[in-house]
Amino acid sequence: MTIRVLIVDVKPERSQVLEKALVEAGFDVLATVDEQQDLHAVVERLQPDAVIIDAALPSRDTLEHVGQLGRRYPKPMIMLAEEETPDLTRQAAKAGVSAYVVDHVQPALMRSMINVAITSFESHRALKGELTRTQETLAQRRSIDRAKALIMEMRGIGEEAAYQYLRSTAMNRRMTIHELAQELLAATANPRRKG
Amino acid sequence: MNPEITHLTLGMLPLNDAAPLVVALENGLFAAEGLEVTLNVETSWASLRDAMQLGLLDGAQMLALMPLASTLGLDGRATPMLSALTLNLGGNAITVSPALYRQMEAYAAEGLENPIASAQALAAVIAERERAGAEPLRFANVYPFSSHRYQLRYWLAAGGIDPDRDLALRVVPPPLMAVRLKAGELDGYCVGEPWNSLAEHRGIGRMVCGSFDIWGASQEKVFGVREEWARRHPLTHLALLRALLRACAWLDEPGNRLGAARLMCEGGYLDVPPQVVEVGMRDPADVQEGERLPGATLFHRHTANFPWYSQTRWYAEQMRRWEHLPEECDLDAAIARCVRPDLYRQAAADLGISVPLIDSRIEGAHDHPWSLPGSQGDIAMAPDVFLDGAVFRE
Repeated sequence: MTIRVLIVDVKPERSQVLEKALVEAGFDVLATVDEQQDLHAVVERLQPDAVIIDAALPSRDTLEHVGQLGRRYPKPMIMLAEEETPDLTRQAAKAGVSAYVVDHVQPALMRSMINVAITSFESHRALKGELTRTQETLAQRRSIDRAKALIMEMRGIGEEAAYQYLRSTAMNRRMTIHELAQELLAATANPRRKG
Repeated sequence: MNPEITHLTLGMLPLNDAAPLVVALENGLFAAEGLEVTLNVETSWASLRDAMQLGLLDGAQMLALMPLASTLGLDGRATPMLSALTLNLGGNAITVSPALYRQMEAYAAEGLENPIASAQALAAVIAERERAGAEPLRFANVYPFSSHRYQLRYWLAAGGIDPDRDLALRVVPPPLMAVRLKAGELDGYCVGEPWNSLAEHRGIGRMVCGSFDIWGASQEKVFGVREEWARRHPLTHLALLRALLRACAWLDEPGNRLGAARLMCEGGYLDVPPQVVEVGMRDPADVQEGERLPGATLFHRHTANFPWYSQTRWYAEQMRRWEHLPEECDLDAAIARCVRPDLYRQAAADLGISVPLIDSRIEGAHDHPWSLPGSQGDIAMAPDVFLDGAVFRE
């Protein structure tokens, strides 16, 4: 049987590579969707045998719920083939790949599909030098710290006052502190004079 | 005595009620216990569960039902987990679209403040839509094994709604809830803060009730670890419990909530406008006379951190009510394994905190403040009624 796969990813350059690799390995890719679409409805409509999703996407929890609805829906890979996959599941988690698979898919096919996805994700990450989620949190904090230091220097004020400045500016402009910090840092990196 | 291991990685989701973990790290409470902690911000409960079951995390903020569901093999791979500390009570709210809110108002002569009245108004809207042959309304919660799911169902059922027949229910990640509501792809949801305040703030949603309106003592997040991990690292576990307990106590001291919101925003843990985090971090004690505060949360007072058997049991009974629990499961044994008041008592004793002398209480029996005998004097307790006046005994 041909395994019918749904890809959920927000990075087209990565999902295109993955789609091609899966097709070459003999899988049938039904569609690639991002988070803009109602994933619950997409899975009900397409009834895929497997879903490969970027592990960093919050929409994984939508798939968890769908997986609880009945046998014909894909289940998280951590539940499948219990004894033989812990290493593969761990590798997939590290590569940022999550998979959901229906019960009747042969373990060998499932392993092959997941390996294809791991390879695609890893080569994309290496190519783009992407950050892991933990590194992203740290990077966010660093840009907020730098923006704060900048304000302290420019306005000659203390740390508390600098935070209050960031806070009220973010409030007025309906932004997050991180968005504001990035804007401030970008503006000072490329100074422009107003005419 | 020194902890067995000192370098730890803990998991959390970008939610207001991860505050105890963030405070314990940023205010040096983990460090004071000799622990060097890294906080991993996960993006879904599923990835947090995977990381816990694969042993990539030492412990994590979890939904109250997650240790039980993992132990029973309902959520991911069967992996015994336990919790000896509740991180907070309340914090969730039910929000509907402005259009649905207006329709509900038309059926609520006395207004929508009373949660039963609002659920009945929703039932009337649903009946009207059925007569007109309209599609069922779509409501969302955050995870299959979540307090949100069962609080939402309890509220719906109290208004005479059969959630499985009368509505289309689904799971939507918190950051996408408001987006879907705005796009008209959802009509309502139950989620934790700041995602209700955010919808109100942007004028795309109206809060109808909070978790304390549904259950006055509604348990929310817990700190969970694998049973095997706890057996191998008992002193590390106790050190973590003490640090988190001190963080929770700090959060409930007057005037500290804004500082906590700042730690969440400045530390890059929650990428949401600061005032939205602040609004969603309010203490129920800050409610002004006549003001409603859905989404308010309690981190420490009124035995908030004590892992009551009766609270997990209430959620488990809700699972059974909606046929989400296998019939043959031995709940008593599972709850005794997953909920560990004995470990909580050890950590609290080290800090001189008064603890309850019982492991279970009658839930929903108090409609005004009351007093509970504790190990070091009586403990002030808050009302704990259910919206329908039910009294829950194990």
